[in-house]
Amino acid sequence: MRRLPLDHPGTADHRSPGRFLWWMAGQQWRTLAGGMAFGIVWMCAQAVMPAVIGRAIDQGVAAKDTDRLLEWAGVLLAIGLVQAGAGIMRHRFAVTNWLTAAYRIVQLVTRQSVRLGGTLPRKVSTGEVVAIGTNDLSHIGQVMDVSARFSGAVVSFVVVAVILLQTSVTLGLVVLLGVPLMMLLLTPILGPLQRSSAHQRHLMGRLSNTASDIVGGLRVLRGIGGEQVFADRYRRESQSARYAGVQVARLQSVLDALQVFLPGFFVVVVVWIGARSAVSGSITAGELVAFYGYSAFLMIPLRTATEYANKVIRGRVAAARICRVLELDPEVGVPAEVAGSPATGVDLVDARSGLTVRAGVLTAIVSDQPDDSALLADRLGMTASPVDDEVTLGGVPLTALDPVEVRERIVVSDTGALFFSGRLGDGLDLSGHGDVDRALDTASAADILDALTEGLDTIVAERGRSFSGGQRQRLVLARALALDPEVLVLVEPTSAVDAHTESRIAARLRHHRAGRTTVVTSTSPLMLDTADVVAFLEGGRVVATGTHAELLASSAAYRRVVTRETDLEAVGA
Amino acid sequence: MSSQVSGHLPVADDRAVRRYVAQLARRHPRMLYGALSLHVGAALAALAAPRLLGDLVEAVQNGTTTGHVDRIVGVLAAFLVVQTVLTRYARYLSQVLGEQVLAELREDFVDSTLALPVGVVEEAGSGDLLTRTSRDVDQLGWSIRMALPEWTIAVVTAVVTFVAAISVGWWVALPCLLGVPPLVIGLRWYLRRAKDGYLRESATYSRINATLTETVEGARTVEALGLGRRRIAAADEDIEASYWAERYTLYLRTVFFPNMEIAYLVPTVATLLFGGYLYTQGEVSLGAVTAATLYVQMLIDPVDRIVSILDELQLGAASLARLLGVAQVPDDREVSGREPAGEQLEADDVRFSYVEGRDVLHGVSLDVGVGERIAMVGPSGAGKSTLGRLLAGIHPPRTGAVTVGGVGLVELPLDDLRGHVALVTQEHHVFVGTMRENLVLARPGASDDDVRSALDAVDALDWVDALPEGLDTEVGSGGRAVTAAQAQQIALARLVLADPHTLVLDEATSLIDPRAARHLERSLAAVLEGRTVIAIAHRLFSAHDADRVAVVEDGRISELGSHDELVATGGSYAALWESWHGRG
Repeated sequence: MRRLPLDHPGTADHRSPGRFLWWMAGQQWRTLAGGMAFGIVWMCAQAVMPAVIGRAIDQGVAAKDTDRLLEWAGVLLAIGLVQAGAGIMRHRFAVTNWLTAAYRIVQLVTRQSVRLGGTLPRKVSTGEVVAIGTNDLSHIGQVMDVSARFSGAVVSFVVVAVILLQTSVTLGLVVLLGVPLMMLLLTPILGPLQRSSAHQRHLMGRLSNTASDIVGGLRVLRGIGGEQVFADRYRRESQSARYAGVQVARLQSVLDALQVFLPGFFVVVVVWIGARSAVSGSITAGELVAFYGYSAFLMIPLRTATEYANKVIRGRVAAARICRVLELDPEVGVPAEVAGSPATGVDLVDARSGLTVRAGVLTAIVSDQPDDSALLADRLGMTASPVDDEVTLGGVPLTALDPVEVRERIVVSDTGALFFSGRLGDGLDLSGHGDVDRALDTASAADILDALTEGLDTIVAERGRSFSGGQRQRLVLARALALDPEVLVLVEPTSAVDAHTESRIAARLRHHRAGRTTVVTSTSPLMLDTADVVAFLEGGRVVATGTHAELLASSAAYRRVVTRETDLEAVGA
Repeated sequence: MSSQVSGHLPVADDRAVRRYVAQLARRHPRMLYGALSLHVGAALAALAAPRLLGDLVEAVQNGTTTGHVDRIVGVLAAFLVVQTVLTRYARYLSQVLGEQVLAELREDFVDSTLALPVGVVEEAGSGDLLTRTSRDVDQLGWSIRMALPEWTIAVVTAVVTFVAAISVGWWVALPCLLGVPPLVIGLRWYLRRAKDGYLRESATYSRINATLTETVEGARTVEALGLGRRRIAAADEDIEASYWAERYTLYLRTVFFPNMEIAYLVPTVATLLFGGYLYTQGEVSLGAVTAATLYVQMLIDPVDRIVSILDELQLGAASLARLLGVAQVPDDREVSGREPAGEQLEADDVRFSYVEGRDVLHGVSLDVGVGERIAMVGPSGAGKSTLGRLLAGIHPPRTGAVTVGGVGLVELPLDDLRGHVALVTQEHHVFVGTMRENLVLARPGASDDDVRSALDAVDALDWVDALPEGLDTEVGSGGRAVTAAQAQQIALARLVLADPHTLVLDEATSLIDPRAARHLERSLAAVLEGRTVIAIAHRLFSAHDADRVAVVEDGRISELGSHDELVATGGSYAALWESWHGRG
């Protein structure tokens, strides 16, 4: 079996779903060919089985010829062994084909998501991309898997056709034309069945969502009540899913019965014609048995053919979704002409808002509209959309620089930042050589670690879910600090922690980033008080700059935003 | 808050699973036996074909007329019609039964889930419970809808076919027995390893999807922090783990499948040889040899299905065990039936631990006056939230007591408890459904006027009215997205509707813009006039407004008194208040 994953998934042809599938097949043609070869041997071994049994009965049993009987029994055994051997090899190739395709898609989509970065959520719903992992890859895998069996089916059908026509032209034609005709007879019921199954699956999906919803909100329910409401809702949905299942059963059972009847009917016809020919002496008793066997066997390649058609249709739908993701390009690209790198220790300036972030200083941004601060932070780090060239580092527009350089020098850690699963120590130390202890101390997060028996080796759950909101926020802050970038932009870094902790973080942050450029958006007096300079924005433009104390004294608007309070002024000022 | 995952939800043992299955069977005897007898009938009808074909071969061999052939074929056709009709109803009935059983199972499961003590869920992590609600319910659905009926049919068919083969002559049993040893040995070997192998395999796919989901949903973070290479490496690592899990199960099948094929092949060849020998001895007819060979071949398909569905059933049984396990969690509440006399909430020398031997509260006592507003402040991890949950009756204290009107909170039935004390935390879950459904959870049947005035009390009426469908707007996962701040407003509006006499608010406005929060707390206070409120807050203006402030440090109440008193004392609260005002 081929060793997976591949070092590199290759560059996909995503111009159309068909081309994509073809490209995928081309990438693994060797194992596909292997699967086909064994598929053919396997099917053909099955196909000749009835003939061998027929001969054994004719030449061995009926003729009472023990030698011939032994000979044919030996042939039967040999073919059976070939079938078993080819069967397992075919299966191994099929699994390899499925896995190669599925893993390659995961690799392609992961690499594309990384390439797109912040562009991804703006261009395509994340659910759509996630669905590739949960649904589409198995559809594509199945296309690769079934194609090997399909080629076996085609060849074995031809082999049986030749054998049949050699024995009896009439019977041969009846079998060869009758079997496909029968498959066609089944098609009218397939449409309604697929529709009602899809409806049932939809209801089951909804039911599963409701259950997850209940689990997710269990603590909320326990605090305030409403368990009965949800028990009733679940019961209602469960019953409508059950009803949909009964509707499916109505059609499915008819299909099941037809799958018994049609081949059976066909066997009856073949046996009838065969027996009449046998009576007239044109075929032997053994051949009659063989015909019976063939008509039963031929259902297998035909079922494979329908399966193939079905899976290719689904595979194309899946491929279309994958192509939609693969064809996207990031909004921020490498500029045609990359400007020379600005020196370190230069100011970051935004012409649009009039903000100047002085090098080596802790700047706080306060805005009358919280969204303005977040947008400004995004623009400072070139993560806003659309990108503009009004933000300059040392006079050079960020858009003129290699995006990789911008990301390295300016790091924005916003409120939506995700803490990834995996070993905690790895999640905190992204550069591999950061001072994690110091960062944890500054973020007042040492107590989180103390509570973990495994310390930095603790495995963090998906999206950091095993931590509370406040804990997660402090870990995200520590992660950004440990990166130690030239310019660090922190959006509301303490919004979810208590006042005690916030005051500790505020005091330590300034010390931690001494001499480095730091921007913090916040409205908390505890945080603002430690900033070297506070820029106050109204309507998206800087209207006042100074220390927290200066602005408190000079600007009534600032006072209103920061203390949020008119009567507190009497107490506080 | 306990963030470590230390415990697991229980899993039912084999006996409990068998008892439950037997009980299910007893609940629907008519459908069950009806379906079984129809399947037996269909299998019997299917057996006519080889027998009649044997007769035909015999007749042809001995010379016969076309009239005789036509008659035999006519009988063959008649049996086919019978088989078709019986199959239709047998399949239908068993699927209906399956749907019925499945619905009962999942509804029982959700009922048990809703009754779980919160402490147990937190200790085990909600991930385990989520897996049970999604993957295990799905797996069981698959087992009951597809695997179980197929398996039952296969067993019925195999038994009936074997009986038919024997009816041709006792000698047929002999070649069949030859297939049994490889079958049993192979199956035992395979089944002992298959379940764990497949479970591990499917876990690796969950892992692949989880990593992909994180990469996609965190694409912005990945870009901002330059995590690209790490995410790619993480995906490749997951794939590698999946590859090895796949290789293991492939190895199992590589041994098992050929083994089975041989177990099927041997009886066919042996029947032919043995039958041929008996025919030469004149002991059996040519028709009997033909019929016997065909029957033995016919056995292959059902036996193969019995064998190959077994691992599927094994997985189904494992899922069932996990679903039933949830019902086995002991309740942490003991309803005593005593009625509280009054609304006085009291905590007396309360100690509590999440992990044995590590108390997070060390003997806390607090008398809350009726209608009093208490603010709890203190550093993270000091035990504020834990104390809040004990005061809301979510956890029983390890020692000491939390009582309302002299009755322990954990002695009250859940529904009564909420009439006295309700808790709203910073956890803001918006349920899938309309805005109205989200609000009236705690008071089903509340009128739209009540709902609207509750929204007004939390400053949310304006934006709810601005929604395209107003109260009928679908929210929650898949519906209209609401911000974290709006979700907190929804949580508070629920509380207003629930209208208990005592409220515990744990950072209930932490995600709302400070300025708006201040206004909200004011208007909420007006609505809650006369209610007892215990507010855990990280914003100090809440403390300033309270009747008394409790400073919680290291699992104890270190300072307790009015804002002015505490500022005057010059303790840790005073220091914090100073710095908050930018004086320090």
